[in-house]
Amino acid sequence: MFEFIIAGVTVPVFLLVLVGLTVGMVGGFVGVGGGYMVTPALIVFGFPGYMASGIDMTHIAGKGVVSSIRHRELGNIDWTLALTMIAGTMLGVELGVRVLVHFKGLGISAIVLLITSVAIMLSLFIYTQVETHRAHKKLEQLTREGKEIGREVQTSNLPRLFQSIPLSPIIRCRHARVIISMWVIVLVGAATGFLAGFLGVGGGFIRVPALVYLVGASTHIAVGTDLVEIAVSGSYGALRHSIEGHVDMMAVLFMIAGAMIGAQFGSIATAFVRGPAIRYILSYSLILATVGAVLRLVYIITGQNIEWLSLAAVMLTLGEMIFLCLFILSLVLFAVRHRRGKWVPDWVQSLVI
Amino acid sequence: MKWLINRLLAFWLLLLAISLGAAALVYEIWLKGRI
Repeated sequence: MFEFIIAGVTVPVFLLVLVGLTVGMVGGFVGVGGGYMVTPALIVFGFPGYMASGIDMTHIAGKGVVSSIRHRELGNIDWTLALTMIAGTMLGVELGVRVLVHFKGLGISAIVLLITSVAIMLSLFIYTQVETHRAHKKLEQLTREGKEIGREVQTSNLPRLFQSIPLSPIIRCRHARVIISMWVIVLVGAATGFLAGFLGVGGGFIRVPALVYLVGASTHIAVGTDLVEIAVSGSYGALRHSIEGHVDMMAVLFMIAGAMIGAQFGSIATAFVRGPAIRYILSYSLILATVGAVLRLVYIITGQNIEWLSLAAVMLTLGEMIFLCLFILSLVLFAVRHRRGKWVPDWVQSLVI
Repeated sequence: MKWLINRLLAFWLLLLAISLGAAALVYEIWLKGRI
């Protein structure tokens, strides 16, 4: 147990390290900050809501830097794409925050936010799940035929549509192997930034699918590039929260201690799998986060007096982090076994490298 | 066990059950009565 004087709570230290470790691993693997998991977890541990956001954002900044460095070494970052998108993201975030303030003025922000979150996450889950399943089937077919497979297979036609928009200037993202109008990247950044600003999240879970399905980057490049955005936006958010006094640095330090290890492992784990495996994990994290948001929505609508709903939300918050980590660890374990020629499940063979 | 791991959905459900069990354990030991 450790007493966090600034936050005014006493929490077992290992729980904070565990949250940092698990969310760091998921973030490094999928390319998200994980705010939708960390903030509810910190509230469950007793931190006030505003402080949970501040601690979360500050630890995301640290984790984003560590993951970005590791992904740069793995060659998963396209700097042209990252820097162009950041410009759009900043504009979008500002607009999103202003719309949020408008809704707050009307007094319905919590319900509007949760309904929007559920709608977006559910739509993204369905699309990524259907597309990834199709890509997985294609991979299995190619494996059966004994053909050489790269680390990416995706079946969506949307990237071709967006890459064919003839708006100057057209830019070449060499590393992502994408030639596309600069305005498309800026607009995708602005749209995802708007949603992130409106929902009050980092937005990685929206940007990674957008980079894959709209811009046409491979999943590995989308993950690495998005982590650069997370490092930049997280650092700005951390600075803002620190100025407002929303950060307990001791809590951040314990979380970052876990996140350093988790983020490195998650980033390195991407080298063991093909794109669809990363998209599966992203998709699973989306559906679990959706269920969590639905529980919170029902809790608010029913007047916050149903005890089992609150308990279910706690279980889901903790269970989600453990589940995603176990899945990533299993994939790495299966990949190592596959390399050594040992038995692995049929569904894994085409997903690992 | 091999049958369970060999199917994606079954493996998914197995991991989910283990995770929720671990979450329940964490709740019982460290969080009960504090929330």
